Amino acid sequence: MSALLSVHGVSKRFGGLQALSNVTFGVGHREIVGVIGPNGAGKTTLFNVITGVYAPDGGRVTLGGMDVTGWAPHRICRLGAARTFQIGKPFAALTVLQTVRIGSLNRIADMAGATTHALGVLEQVGLAAKRDVEGRHLTVIERKCLELARALATGPSLLLLDEVAAGLRPPEIQEMIALVRRIAAGGVSVLIIEHVLEAVMRLSARIVVLNYGEVIAEGSPESLVNDPRVIEAYLGEAYSLA
Amino acid sequence: MVGLDVVLQALLSGLFMGSVYALIAIGFTLVFGVTDIVNFAHGHLVMAAMFVTYVLFKLAGLDPYLSLVVVLPLFFGIGALLYVLVIQRIVDAPHSAHMMVTLGVLLLLENLANLLFGGDLRGVTTRYTTSSLVVGPVAVPLARAGAAVVSLLAVGALAVFLRRTALGKAIRAAANNREGAALVGVDVPRVYLISFSLGTMAAALAGAVIVPFSLVSPFVGHEFILKAFVIAVLGGLGSVGGALAGGLLIGFVEALSSLYISASLGNAIVFAILIAVLLYRPWGIFGQAKV
Amino acid sequence: MSARLALGLAALAAAAAAPLVAGQHLLTAFIVALHAAYMALAWNVAAGYAGQFSLGHSLFYGIGAYASTMLYLKLGLTPWAGMFAGAGLAGLVGVALALGVYRYNVRGIFFALVTLGAAEVAKGLADNWDWIKGPVGILLTMKSAPGEFFFLRREPYYYVALAMVVALILISLRLERSRLGQHFLAVREDEAAAEASGVDTQRAKTVAIGLSAALTAFAGSFYAQFYLYISPDTVLVFEPQLTMMLGTMVGGAGTALGPVLGSVLFSGLGEALRNLPFENTRPVVIGSKLVYAILLIVILIYLPGGLVTLGRRSRPA
Repeated sequence: MSALLSVHGVSKRFGGLQALSNVTFGVGHREIVGVIGPNGAGKTTLFNVITGVYAPDGGRVTLGGMDVTGWAPHRICRLGAARTFQIGKPFAALTVLQTVRIGSLNRIADMAGATTHALGVLEQVGLAAKRDVEGRHLTVIERKCLELARALATGPSLLLLDEVAAGLRPPEIQEMIALVRRIAAGGVSVLIIEHVLEAVMRLSARIVVLNYGEVIAEGSPESLVNDPRVIEAYLGEAYSLA
Repeated sequence: MVGLDVVLQALLSGLFMGSVYALIAIGFTLVFGVTDIVNFAHGHLVMAAMFVTYVLFKLAGLDPYLSLVVVLPLFFGIGALLYVLVIQRIVDAPHSAHMMVTLGVLLLLENLANLLFGGDLRGVTTRYTTSSLVVGPVAVPLARAGAAVVSLLAVGALAVFLRRTALGKAIRAAANNREGAALVGVDVPRVYLISFSLGTMAAALAGAVIVPFSLVSPFVGHEFILKAFVIAVLGGLGSVGGALAGGLLIGFVEALSSLYISASLGNAIVFAILIAVLLYRPWGIFGQAKV
Repeated sequence: MSARLALGLAALAAAAAAPLVAGQHLLTAFIVALHAAYMALAWNVAAGYAGQFSLGHSLFYGIGAYASTMLYLKLGLTPWAGMFAGAGLAGLVGVALALGVYRYNVRGIFFALVTLGAAEVAKGLADNWDWIKGPVGILLTMKSAPGEFFFLRREPYYYVALAMVVALILISLRLERSRLGQHFLAVREDEAAAEASGVDTQRAKTVAIGLSAALTAFAGSFYAQFYLYISPDTVLVFEPQLTMMLGTMVGGAGTALGPVLGSVLFSGLGEALRNLPFENTRPVVIGSKLVYAILLIVILIYLPGGLVTLGRRSRPA
């Protein structure tokens, strides 16, 4: 199966800190892949490299067969990879509809068409009732949904979700899991960073584990639960079963 | 060919004015470093102090250096008042609000001075206004030398204050990391207030000591704020040491360029340098790049 | 017909009829106000919509003034055409400036300072450029020639200024409803999120500056043809920039109506006061500027969105 996204040997260094080290993995078509790891493992940096916010020091990123290493973020979005931000970035003074419409304008050039499309996306994520509310007045879960909607509106083939379940209460987490499942069912591949293990375990077909910028394990959720390297990374050597 | 003694004279002049520019820039950069606010009215605070000094001289015959006893505490208070009434309310606003509000203060000060005194250029003539001490090939103008000495002493005092006193350290902590400083018990609002007042007082000191050899008018503030910008950027916004180095540098550049080219062309060159620094080394020539 | 459209047409009708009742003095005040409104709208394109807070727009104003003037003096080109050439030149300069600046990712206060520096450099160079007569400036002596953008009476200038403002209001409204305009807003609100949504932020910012620069240049040409004297000290100083900013920020940046509102208030009233039949109007004029300064501070602190926000309240969820 040809991969939709291929990350090959990616490294990134900031001053004295090696944030990513020879990271290699792929995301196939119609696949949900999770990325987990302790804080500071390099997960968001990985997203930033994939989506063009940083150029890697080494390695390659391929999307849909094209080498997008070092491309500007808007070009990568055009090509079909959309991401959400960990700290939700609503366009504070713009309404929910305007915000999502910016995403819709990625594929649809005329305003009327983009507006219609945006309304459709809002229906999908359940924010249709809040269409005229300004970004700065939204609650936490509404911001998360808006982030998701904005990214979804760009018409991606790959959606990168950065801790989309963080800060949500249990019932909201279930809602979010269901929403991501629905989106994936529509044909969009998903790469999801999560700390809320329940969410990532239930959604992902495959999980990549990062620690100190390196991939230390990769496999199905079931196989990783008892993986000693994963346990050690999260809980420390004292808990290692080896 | 310009003679060596003329060049030396220019360098001396550059040193003197550069010291005063440094003092003005330091007040400005201190406020920016601590509160993240660009005070467009800083140059006009210098102008306001010049007028107060002028008035004290004309009405009470008080020498500008003696009037510092009144001017310094007065302008510390004015700075505090300005902070509490206006600045405090926009500390968390976007940069564009800072610029516009402080521009408002600039307009307020300029039109107040214009209303009270009119637009004519005024001067103060003290006993030492035209005195010079001849040292070898150069003549040392006493008024300018005095201004420079006082300015450098003030810069030194400020440096000691920031490094050695508890309050000074609190100020540096707040400048470095606002939330972190608050977490360790620094009274950040008070630090902001004091920094702003100190910056204003520094501007006032500079204004007072240049009166003996400068023309006083409501419109001189523009030149001072532009220089303060350039110097603060060159030295690294927020860096006191950088502002000192930058002030002296600008003083020299200004003095030397006036020997060979017109003042306005010299001005253009200074701003071209500003643009280059902003593009290639925004942390300043003397600052350190942050990763 | 919507209420807003009806109101707009009524205002336009009233404005068009004004010269029938206003004398030359009052018309001059109106012209100054309209000129200020136009400049503010032009600056608003870059600063209000796209968030590019430039402090150096006097550069573009000056280019417009000098371009149309020099083309007229040296080539006999009518300023009606010359002002378009000036706009084109200013647009190119704006784009060049933008390309340089955005390449180095210069933002916020640093961006503002670069633009300020650029305007200062231009002034310094102009003061030393003999071909444009340097600091002495250029006095335009023109025969009455409507075909060369010169009129003896105020009325034609009034209508030209009114047309410019109406045109720019319409352009602003069109921009608000366009994809480009939405990209401007996204860039203003959050560049990273805009990029991640497919917006080419560098291009958007460059277009914003270039467009704003070209539009501003028209105002400079108008100034030259109205006052008939230009010099670095009149068109390349901070004054035009101040006028643009005050009008836009007080009225409401990022709207089509705000800059007009703010400018009419500040510039129009100021000019009218200057023409009062007092013996000594100086204290009144300066006193009014003082009041404006206080008003500016108060409005910017308590109504950061500008006067236009008085009519509406943003609705919380």
